[in-house]
Amino acid sequence: MQCAEQYRVQAYFDGEVDALSAIDIERHAERCPDCRTLLEDLARTRAHLRRELPFETAPAPLRARIGRALDAEIGAPRVATRALPAPRTRPFWLGALGSLGAALAAGAAVLLLMPVRPDPVLDEIVTAHVRSLMPEHLTDVVSTDRHTVKPWFAGHADVSPVVADFAPEGYRLVGGRADYFERQRAAAVVYQHGAHVINVFAWVAGRDALPEAATRSGYHLAFWRVGNLEYCAVSDAGWDELRRLERLLRDLGAREQMP
Amino acid sequence: MTMDDKRERFEAQVMPHLDAAYRFARWLSRSPADADDVVQEAFLRAFRGFDRLRGSDVKAWLLTIVRNCHASAHRQQQRRAAVALPGEDDEPAGSALPAPGPDPESASIGADEQRTLERLIAALPDEHREVLLLREMEEMSYREIAAVTGLPIGTVMSRLARARAGLRGRWLEETEGEPRAVR
Ligand SMILES: [Zn+2]
Repeated sequence: MQCAEQYRVQAYFDGEVDALSAIDIERHAERCPDCRTLLEDLARTRAHLRRELPFETAPAPLRARIGRALDAEIGAPRVATRALPAPRTRPFWLGALGSLGAALAAGAAVLLLMPVRPDPVLDEIVTAHVRSLMPEHLTDVVSTDRHTVKPWFAGHADVSPVVADFAPEGYRLVGGRADYFERQRAAAVVYQHGAHVINVFAWVAGRDALPEAATRSGYHLAFWRVGNLEYCAVSDAGWDELRRLERLLRDLGAREQMP
Repeated sequence: MTMDDKRERFEAQVMPHLDAAYRFARWLSRSPADADDVVQEAFLRAFRGFDRLRGSDVKAWLLTIVRNCHASAHRQQQRRAAVALPGEDDEPAGSALPAPGPDPESASIGADEQRTLERLIAALPDEHREVLLLREMEEMSYREIAAVTGLPIGTVMSRLARARAGLRGRWLEETEGEPRAVR
């Protein structure tokens, strides 16, 4: 009943084939009803899983327990190692990890071992995020349709960020809002992921370096840049969840940048 | 490399994968407490073996260790269960997540659907469930899944196909004929 090409079709769906094979497989699926159905089923199952399954994060007590176990392992009390003079800009290993790794590493580092450096932008963003969570403050324009949200920003913010509904991937577009910081009307695109609200702020790049990923008051902040816009996703969702939305938006931004 | 350096590099490279390790352990283990123990043991082993880590695929390396820790914990439990008297604390072996009972407080359609899906995934054979979750939830490549599970890539592909077809079939069976509210 199943076509002999089913594994190649699955590999195509999973992004495991080169460009030439992909063309082959697409041609085959055009002619083969079995494989067309298979592709639809694969997409539906994936969307379903990513939408419904909770994206759990490790409980804080477990994280702490592991930290203590590792301290015991190196035979040094945590306080002693953390009390070393720490005014450094970028740890040496960040350079070796690539930007995504660096963002993650920086997040973990800020969370676990680096003294928190004051950065007013981080505080502004967290404040804007927390304010948005109050009743009636989340959105100025409510819509799951990017064709409604995106034009709205044209009249209400100084930037035109990427906007899309990623409901199949588990990130539902809720709406948009304008927030004032970095001396401009920044755009905030609001997504819902499970029980979490994610604000994605966008503003015109003005500073030399993006802030490093950070955690403030329990909210994670991830930064990236596409073209002349800087983005920050902020949420109490886990790092992996935030990172996945970042990746979706980066990909989309890169596609929109293409002429 | 001093111990402090090692600790810092470990924080930077391995700790970011704690959530993934926890989720994986959660699906492998029967209870949250078991998952906690497996993850902690895995991180200790990972730290001890960190100097020998080559290459950049830290996540696959870590999940391999989680899987091994789970396997040895599971063997120990089975040995204990074999000598335990009936009625002692071991739960019956079987699915990773017990089928959750009805919970009137969160009986929305969304929660229903999520529970059904969790139950169906829990009912998949272990060897199908793990490749499915590594692919769909952790977004790992075939090569990475092969590394974590110790399977040839061809086997990863066929198990993945069967897991997906199995889940889809059970889902249709479960929901067939029931009119579903539009969300
Ligand atoms: Zn076919």
